[in-house]
Amino acid sequence: MTLKIDRKIFSDSCISTVVYWFSSRYAIQRSIQGTIETLTIDGVQDEKQFLLEFYQKLNDYKLRNQIDEETKYIKTILYAKAFGEFDELTEEEILE
Amino acid sequence: MRKYALLPFNFITILNHEILINELGDFIITPIGTVQKILSHSISDEDLYKTLVSNFFVTEEILPSLLDIYASRLRTKKGFLDDKTSLHIFVLTLRCNQNCIYCQASSQEETSKHCSMSLEDMTASVQMMFHSPSPNLTMEFQGGEPSLEIDLIRHGIETAEEINKEKNRKLTYVLCTNCRKLSDDMLELCKQYNILISTSLDGPSYIHNKNRGREDSYEKTIAGINKARAVLGNEFVSALMTTSELALDYPKEIVDEYVSDGFNGIFLRALNPYGLAAQNEDWKRYNQRFISFYKTAVDYIIEINKHGIFFREEYASIILRKMLTPYTTGFVDLQSPAGTINSVIVYNYDGYVYASDESRMLAEIHDYSFRLGKVTDKYEDVFCGSVAKRMGKIWANEALAGCSSCPIKVYCGADPVRHHSTQGDMYGFRPTSLVCEKNKAIIEYLFSLIVERGDEVLPIFRRWVK
Repeated sequence: MTLKIDRKIFSDSCISTVVYWFSSRYAIQRSIQGTIETLTIDGVQDEKQFLLEFYQKLNDYKLRNQIDEETKYIKTILYAKAFGEFDELTEEEILE
Repeated sequence: MRKYALLPFNFITILNHEILINELGDFIITPIGTVQKILSHSISDEDLYKTLVSNFFVTEEILPSLLDIYASRLRTKKGFLDDKTSLHIFVLTLRCNQNCIYCQASSQEETSKHCSMSLEDMTASVQMMFHSPSPNLTMEFQGGEPSLEIDLIRHGIETAEEINKEKNRKLTYVLCTNCRKLSDDMLELCKQYNILISTSLDGPSYIHNKNRGREDSYEKTIAGINKARAVLGNEFVSALMTTSELALDYPKEIVDEYVSDGFNGIFLRALNPYGLAAQNEDWKRYNQRFISFYKTAVDYIIEINKHGIFFREEYASIILRKMLTPYTTGFVDLQSPAGTINSVIVYNYDGYVYASDESRMLAEIHDYSFRLGKVTDKYEDVFCGSVAKRMGKIWANEALAGCSSCPIKVYCGADPVRHHSTQGDMYGFRPTSLVCEKNKAIIEYLFSLIVERGDEVLPIFRRWVK
């Protein structure tokens, strides 16, 4: 089956993550023309079920990407505050 | 439209609910559509909004005033990294007095030679252990059957005690034994040094004897457990089970066995693909059957608890501790960065140091990928050598494809050794990873219990994690 996805709606990262998870069950070829990505999927038996699952995952990863994008700076600050001082240690101090 | 900024979180959909999970593993169960509402700043439910703010999911300030507390809690969640390598496994011998059908350690006959650690290597191993900066050092004696090497155990402990007069660490000793021939001398040594006994009990006699390849194994193990309890006390004796193909059909009977033997918990442990167990013909099928076995057993354990008996499932308790408390766990399989080297190290009978118990099992099939060096090498060359550095690139699930975007990664761990052994690649490919499938299924199952039967199971789960 063939699936056309507009990259203005779903980003490359989002599509790639979903393709990654489906790649254990299906052979998926990807091609891009303009903003439209075409997925050619081999091995689908129940198209309706496939589409339901595929778009559910796409929507979920889209939301996750939005959260990641909005929180990337605060996440960096958070991890720097939590673990930052390790970077100031020399190798000798770490091994002490 | 409310004004707030998001804090990092992820979500998973279970039983028509969205479970929001933050970087600490704290979670909130919300109706479907909540994430969309959070992102579009259109939350109308005042209580939900307050919960999101107070649990570090959203913030009303650009830089939250409580960020230091959040960071401190995050540091606590990764507290096992501060502890450094604390579990030191000493594989004394491959000699064994049982014939387990799924032996993962490639054990040899009791009379075999050239498969036990030398006294010199034991001394060097103990010296290397004290180079670890951890304030708590656990020496765990494994085999084969380590109780066949009592002189080696005594030598190891006496060497450790001598060095510790200067080093002042908290030492703990564990003997992993099948309890088949627990001699009076062995128990006297256990009593003298407060050695904890960890034995193997696979369930009722018809399962245990079949798994262990001897008709009297169950009887001997139970007698050994009772003898050890009489000398050391109940709290010094624990047991582990391994879920063989046969065991998969008897989840309730196995739990009943542990209850009637006076244990207050059970670790429902799946087979690992090492040693004889690696010959299992269909791991995918086994994995799916194990998941079903696990759910049935945990459901049954919950029922037992509802009748006023405290009895917990240990694997669930480890995960629940991550979900329901601010603390970390010392369980190496569910750590990120991985527990290999960071928390556990193995000194093998062959005089080499390995990254984990599974790593030395691989060595028995001539796969030395996780051999870190000799016990006589310099500590730095072993713990920070080329193998450790290679593993260091792929041992954090926060930075792995398939894991980094997973909503439940905070409860799980990277497992480079398992992925190397099952997929031929330390990095691992999660869509076909059986360890990923198993952990996901168990974690999602625990969430489903909380969503569906929260009032009933949460008081029980909270007792398990205390």
